[in-house]
Amino acid sequence: MFYWSLIIISLGIYSAYIFGKSRITSHSRQLEIKTASLPTYYAQYIMVWCLLPALIVYFGWIIFEDQIIQNLVLANFDFDLNPALNASLLIAEIKNVALSDSFAEGKATEILNAAEHYASIKYVSSISFYLSILIVMILGVMFASRKLQPSFRAQQSIENYVKYFLFFCSSVAVLTTVGIVFSLLFESLRFFSDVSVFEFLFGTKWYPYIPIREGQSGSQGSFGAVPIFAGTFLIMIVAMCVATPIGLFTAIYLAEYASPRVRRIIKPLLEILAGVPTIVYGFFAFVTVAPFVKTFGQSIGIDASPTSALAAGLVMGIMIIPFISSLSDDVINSVPQSLREGSLGIGANKAETIKRVILPAALPGIVGAFLLGVSRAIGETMIVVVAAGTAPNLTANPFENVTTVTVQIVIALIGDQEFDDPRTLSAFALGLVLFVITLILNIFALRIVKKYRERYE
Amino acid sequence: MNNVKVSTKNVNVHYGTKQALHRVTLDINEKEVTALIGPSGCGKSTFLRCINRMNDLIDICKVDGSITVDNEEIISDEVDVVSLRSKIGMVFQKPNPFPKSIFDNVAYGPTIHGIVETKTDLEEIVHLSLKRSGLFKEVKDRLHEPGTSLSGGQQQRLCIARAIAVNPDIILMDEPCSALDPIATATIEELIDELKNKYTIVIVTHSMQQAARVSQRTGFFHLGELVETGETQKIFTNPENEKTQGYITGRFG
Ligand SMILES: Nc1ncnc2c1ncn2[C@@H]1O[C@H](COP(=O)(O)OP(=O)(O)OP(=O)(O)O)[C@@H](O)[C@H]1O
Ligand SMILES: [Mg+2]
Repeated sequence: MFYWSLIIISLGIYSAYIFGKSRITSHSRQLEIKTASLPTYYAQYIMVWCLLPALIVYFGWIIFEDQIIQNLVLANFDFDLNPALNASLLIAEIKNVALSDSFAEGKATEILNAAEHYASIKYVSSISFYLSILIVMILGVMFASRKLQPSFRAQQSIENYVKYFLFFCSSVAVLTTVGIVFSLLFESLRFFSDVSVFEFLFGTKWYPYIPIREGQSGSQGSFGAVPIFAGTFLIMIVAMCVATPIGLFTAIYLAEYASPRVRRIIKPLLEILAGVPTIVYGFFAFVTVAPFVKTFGQSIGIDASPTSALAAGLVMGIMIIPFISSLSDDVINSVPQSLREGSLGIGANKAETIKRVILPAALPGIVGAFLLGVSRAIGETMIVVVAAGTAPNLTANPFENVTTVTVQIVIALIGDQEFDDPRTLSAFALGLVLFVITLILNIFALRIVKKYRERYE
Repeated sequence: MNNVKVSTKNVNVHYGTKQALHRVTLDINEKEVTALIGPSGCGKSTFLRCINRMNDLIDICKVDGSITVDNEEIISDEVDVVSLRSKIGMVFQKPNPFPKSIFDNVAYGPTIHGIVETKTDLEEIVHLSLKRSGLFKEVKDRLHEPGTSLSGGQQQRLCIARAIAVNPDIILMDEPCSALDPIATATIEELIDELKNKYTIVIVTHSMQQAARVSQRTGFFHLGELVETGETQKIFTNPENEKTQGYITGRFG
């Protein structure tokens, strides 16, 4: 169905284009009037009016076809009479039978009839699908060709259509975001009908186990998310302590000191580092860094657990280095050369120039890079699962196990409990918090950048 | 006759394989304004940037020949470029104030060179430099606003103040008025006239009138060669070379 409609639509718009072009040319020749725009724009105008209705029918059809056919087929079954019948199972069975005879054996005549019914409807539907596409394309062209007059300013219309199209594209991302927010909000509200907001935000005990049977003793669920937030924060701090200085210094080296040859080698290497899947960093953290941290902890007399916030944070910091270095490198490079020359011309040396002129000028971009790093750190999951453990400890000791928001979301969602269980729903509440925090971070970043711009541009 | 402050002999400059200056030999006198004129692309900026070794910043740029400042050779790897540059201020074609306050812009040089010990000394230097560059009256109430908030002409005078705050011997100016209106230009020209009592000034300009107004000596560059140099008055009234004649009368360039 897809390929055939692709062919039909392409052929259709191609002929619409040719038609529009020849029509307007002959028209203007007959009337001996110059067209208001180039003939291609008239042709494009016709093309748009051919394509749009076809697309609407196409997508409308694939969205609604299945549902309509199902309703038609199931109309023959009386669900009130037979409450044991399950509509979705039934329709699956009918479809299978209609698809292949091997399923037909030993089925009730009722089902066989329905399958036949289904197949015939399907056949009619597919024919009328192609037909209606053809018809709307022709109608569209007919409607639009009324405007094929030399006085019609086709270029302006096309420009408008382009504008609408671009607007549509830009609203996709916005609408998706809105959709995400609402689904998060909706599911979180369900969670908060079981667990109080206060307990969630300020409780210090995360023990998301609710008794399965009535009266089961010993386990009363507790959803205080503070340990999770604290764990996230702790790991983020460790990671940023590693990534910010190393990333920034790397950027300074690359932008200001490295010879073009060294730069050509190091930059791609850093980009490879950015492309390593995070689970691989996870291995590295678990196999190499965590044991090292444990030994190191013992050597200074701290009892470190085999997986720790420190191990995860260190490796996460390494993961974030390329983001910070590559962004800051771009920003530092875009500081105008005239500022460098101005400073060096006064007799400042390179280090002073960098510290006092270039870095201040690049600061907004560097802050942006830093905040991007922070949101990567907060959103990172795999390294933490593998290297920091999953125990929701409330601690500021980086040698201990901690857990993060993302990890708890994963745990909540992969469990085998019912979907409306508070344990599952807690994932959405955690997700909402994550979303709000990143939102605040972004607003904060924009503020800083804006304030700085106002001052110095 | 003044002493020679900067002396260049047979200076060649190459950008990669392209030669931008051919055997330029020129003496620049102390406490005088020397103007460099010539058609676009003839190497005036390149020459200017040799004097404070600014061409070091361009990887492909190679300078050879001899340049002395105060009788000391500066085209050599042993030269302390940083202290050389602290002796030679530079003002660029486009005003380039740092993204700092007006005060900090001027205080930048004295601070990094450790010229001053106390805050009041620093303030004094900043105020003095701003006064010398004729900007003080206009900005004295907003010294802590960003330098970039000034108008183009004010920014250029800020850059001049920044350059003279470290008390250099020489000031290099590369088309300092090309982005300015006639009034701002006049202010800067007056300023140059005043500054020449204290500093040696080399100015690149595209405006014949400006060269005639502000300079005592003029050098005319053409296609990377120094065609003619001499007293400004002579160059503009009675040049020896016909190319010079052609250029100043506007027949080519
Ligand atoms: N960074 C560079 N890389 C390569 N070639 C350069 C560079 N800078 C200048 N050149 C070349 O050197 C020659 C002289 O340039 P320069 O900037 O000194 O001219 P100019 O006399 O200052 O011109 P203008 O009056 O337009 O400023 C030009 O041909 C130019 O193409
Ligand atoms: Mg120039």
